[in-house]
Amino acid sequence: MKKERRKFKLSPLGIYAVLAYSFLYLPLAVVIVFSFSPTKSIVGFSGFTTRWYIKLFNDEALIAALIHSLQVSLTAVSIAVVVGTSGAFFLVRANFPGKQLFRSLSQLPLILPGIILGIALLILFMNLGFELSMFSILMGHVCFTTPVIMFQVASRLQRLPRSFEYAAKDLGATPVKIFWYVTLPMIRTAIIGGALLAFTMSFDEIIITYFLTGTWTTLPVFIYGMMRFGLSPQVFAISTVVLTFAMVLIVLMAKFTAVREEL
Amino acid sequence: MKSMKELPNNKRGKKRGVFDKPRSYIMGIPIIFWLLIIIITPVILMLIMSFRQKVGYDISNILTLSNYLEILKKPSYVKILLRSFRIALIASTLAIFASYPLAYYISRKIRKGRHLLFMLIIAPLWISYLVRIIAWRAILGNKGLINSTLMALGLIKEPLSFLLYNQFAVAITLTYISIPFVFIPLYTALEKIPVNLIDAARDLGANEFHTFINVILPLCIPGLLTGFMLAFIISLGDYIIPMQLGGTGGMMLGNIIWSQFGFAFNWPLGAALGFILFSIAAVILAITQKFGSREGMLYE
Repeated sequence: MKKERRKFKLSPLGIYAVLAYSFLYLPLAVVIVFSFSPTKSIVGFSGFTTRWYIKLFNDEALIAALIHSLQVSLTAVSIAVVVGTSGAFFLVRANFPGKQLFRSLSQLPLILPGIILGIALLILFMNLGFELSMFSILMGHVCFTTPVIMFQVASRLQRLPRSFEYAAKDLGATPVKIFWYVTLPMIRTAIIGGALLAFTMSFDEIIITYFLTGTWTTLPVFIYGMMRFGLSPQVFAISTVVLTFAMVLIVLMAKFTAVREEL
Repeated sequence: MKSMKELPNNKRGKKRGVFDKPRSYIMGIPIIFWLLIIIITPVILMLIMSFRQKVGYDISNILTLSNYLEILKKPSYVKILLRSFRIALIASTLAIFASYPLAYYISRKIRKGRHLLFMLIIAPLWISYLVRIIAWRAILGNKGLINSTLMALGLIKEPLSFLLYNQFAVAITLTYISIPFVFIPLYTALEKIPVNLIDAARDLGANEFHTFINVILPLCIPGLLTGFMLAFIISLGDYIIPMQLGGTGGMMLGNIIWSQFGFAFNWPLGAALGFILFSIAAVILAITQKFGSREGMLYE
């Protein structure tokens, strides 16, 4: 037993794995550590302070940007849940010509560089004569959150046995009742997991948003503005807050999608 | 009554499901609207915009190829385009080399906690893109982690300025961003290899190295391709990372697109550059769909 452990520790692949995980997480640790540093520059780290966090709470523009971000993400995800879930049913259960094309086109917002959607949507709004506002940002977010939920729900639907629905139908349930009492409970975790993932991505998005932002800014765009004047301790502090928030959402998301593997 | 008749006949039941025609088509209405309004129409408008031309402060309605010709004629644009290819190629290759041993180790050598280790690698995919950029600036900057550590140790007197604001900084950050994208298809490919194939290779006398070269690696090729292509597209189109870490020498395609919509204010030219990027991405995606693994594509 002991021998085996030693062998495991000495394996070159194991050592590589440890290094790789450090490479992935050390940069994030750096941000967290610096957010508690009392000195303004990174050099000469000594002591511990929460001063920068207190400063954040007193920054009205930052709080406003945070509220904007929550508004955009919550609205976008709500729309995406409806459009994405119904889209998943369409993708899995309807047969129509050009289904493969439909699937590929729907995937585009997830795999195309964000800059393309950013400029394409910007040109759309200009053609329509819309001012850049919360609405333009919201549309940008609906654009990429919808397929996130759609493909999560679709992959669950694909694996779902139809027998429960047939049974309900044979027992005389209406389609609405079947959806509400039979299908929905079986795909609920996929919807919640997808929505959490979509929310995390939306809350964090800057590549598309940056093109669609007028005077009304979201949190990532606001942080980006702060970075122009160098990396202040406040930037590290707000980054740590965002990081923690995202981590919590990811853990929740993992909990909901983990159910999938037991199915 | 009808349903009772159908009950014993499974095949018929399958054909006429609860959400099958025509209700399933009604289900498609919102998503079709979404696809038409915020994907297809904007891309078409971008294409049209790329054929228009900037005249003074206005944009003319006459459609010409002049923007594309201007891009091809200007050596600085071609240079940046080639540089973007090079940086994206380096970043995606590095991401493959970094991810493959890791995916191999987790999928084949780890029994307990495999799912957690998997999640730990792909979690950075969703946790703040901007924070990760901030992190790399904090590491590579003049007053950053590397410089301040080296100075504190007395190894250098002046901060090393070659760490930040160049192609190296951009490439390393893009690699960092790309790793989860590459890891998912690689891991899925490795995990799907049946154990009895490997047992068979062993029984026929192959050692671990030969099993890897002759059995495991060839089976990973579609996954490798998908991962590489995804990382390449993501890296090629990024503009925030080169803006934050690239300086003037690390400018990429995304930067020149961005500047056309910002201070240069030449939307038609920006749209043309954007459409070039779109075409490259579309071709790469088509190749990936043909030869790559479909399972590794993010959400399938």
